[in-house]
Amino acid sequence: MLRIYSARLRASALQSNLVNLSDVELLHAIAVHDEAALACLYDRYRLILFGLLLRILNSREEAEDVLQEVFLQIWRRAGNFDEGRGQAFTWMVTLARSRAIDRLRVLAARQRLATSATHETAEVSDAVADAVGSEQREIVAGALAQIPDEQRRTLMLAYFEGLTQSEIATRLGAPLGTVKTRMRSGMIKLRELLADKVQSFYFH
Amino acid sequence: MVHENYKEMLAPYALSTLDREETRTLEEHLATCHDCPRELDEWQGTTAALALLAALAEPSPRVRANILERIQAQREPVRTVLPFMQTKRLWNSTQKFGAIAAGLALVAMLISILVLWKQNRTAHDEIARLSAEKASAQQELDQQRKLVELLSARGASLAVLSGTAQAPSAHATLTYDQQTGRAVLLTEGLPPAPKGKAYQLWFIVGNVPMPGKVFTTDPTGKALSTDQIPSQALNAAVFAITLEPESGVKAPTGPIYLVSAS
Repeated sequence: MLRIYSARLRASALQSNLVNLSDVELLHAIAVHDEAALACLYDRYRLILFGLLLRILNSREEAEDVLQEVFLQIWRRAGNFDEGRGQAFTWMVTLARSRAIDRLRVLAARQRLATSATHETAEVSDAVADAVGSEQREIVAGALAQIPDEQRRTLMLAYFEGLTQSEIATRLGAPLGTVKTRMRSGMIKLRELLADKVQSFYFH
Repeated sequence: MVHENYKEMLAPYALSTLDREETRTLEEHLATCHDCPRELDEWQGTTAALALLAALAEPSPRVRANILERIQAQREPVRTVLPFMQTKRLWNSTQKFGAIAAGLALVAMLISILVLWKQNRTAHDEIARLSAEKASAQQELDQQRKLVELLSARGASLAVLSGTAQAPSAHATLTYDQQTGRAVLLTEGLPPAPKGKAYQLWFIVGNVPMPGKVFTTDPTGKALSTDQIPSQALNAAVFAITLEPESGVKAPTGPIYLVSAS
């Protein structure tokens, strides 16, 4: 068993070009404290993760701070990543979003967001946007477009604004039971639509 | 609560929309349920895809620089300086303790020699036996002192390693401090390492073995060695011992002799 790991490690070390390694291979290298592997993973995911954090936190300063925390956490916890339980992408996004929502709740910045109509803008060129996961973005946007408006709105409020079910009910002026049903139906639909596709998400 | 109710909470949990009480209830269930964590993984895969709906954004270059600076700062003291200092300190105090004990032993021996020399020349054999016993008792005392020190530390943990087919009768215990990562390894029943070879301890996190120290056994197959467990191996690590070149290696190459339950 150990022989296989060590062979794999040596193979990784021999790869002079980390860019060619998969996310899982990079995480294995990070688990044994390979700094270059962390830098490579950062370069691969910074646009997606920072975009997500900025959308949730609506503040460059907070989003950059959380992005730094997220990668330090990846550095410490890469050894806990279990490829049998899902994709590296899912692991990192879940980690990033959960830190962003924690930060949001700590800051009680939600009120500020609720009253703020302006959003921090993302500033990457179309060429960059096309190069990073544009195909996957289209798949997700396409799936979401097939979900009824009310369900979609509920999902978006939950995912990007970090509201609880009760808070969403208050925000929408709808009964809690209705919100729960919409969210559940929306999630089931989304899972069906993305079922086979999420497994193949891959960003380089 | 029936199982179906928990299952219905998984999707909202993946979206972080449960309130605090519901979150706590579900997390307690997740810790004991076999199926729910797997289903949760699927929901998390679905919710993670939503991240792609956020417009891409470029963080300031200083974020990257800060991250790399922080991990280098964290890495140096833990991986190189600390274990060395700790080992040195341990040896210094051991030497001091040993010197006092040896001094006392010497006084006792001289008195014994005088008395015994007067009584009977054959008593020399007895002295030799006593002094050997004393030395071995002293060594054992030192070992036990290290163990007691570690066991009495807050957050001390114990891992039991069992022999593989290479050494079925071998066993070992690794006692370590959850806070500092200081560890003491006691092994028994290992065959003597061939010339040029030694045993090496590994901390396996996920699928990745991190190297520990190299050690050899005494003629009876016993060994005691101290080590420093890397911080990321303190939780959820599997420990293993392999036979390696005596200078130690960075990744395991030889057969496994002892391994802990995962």
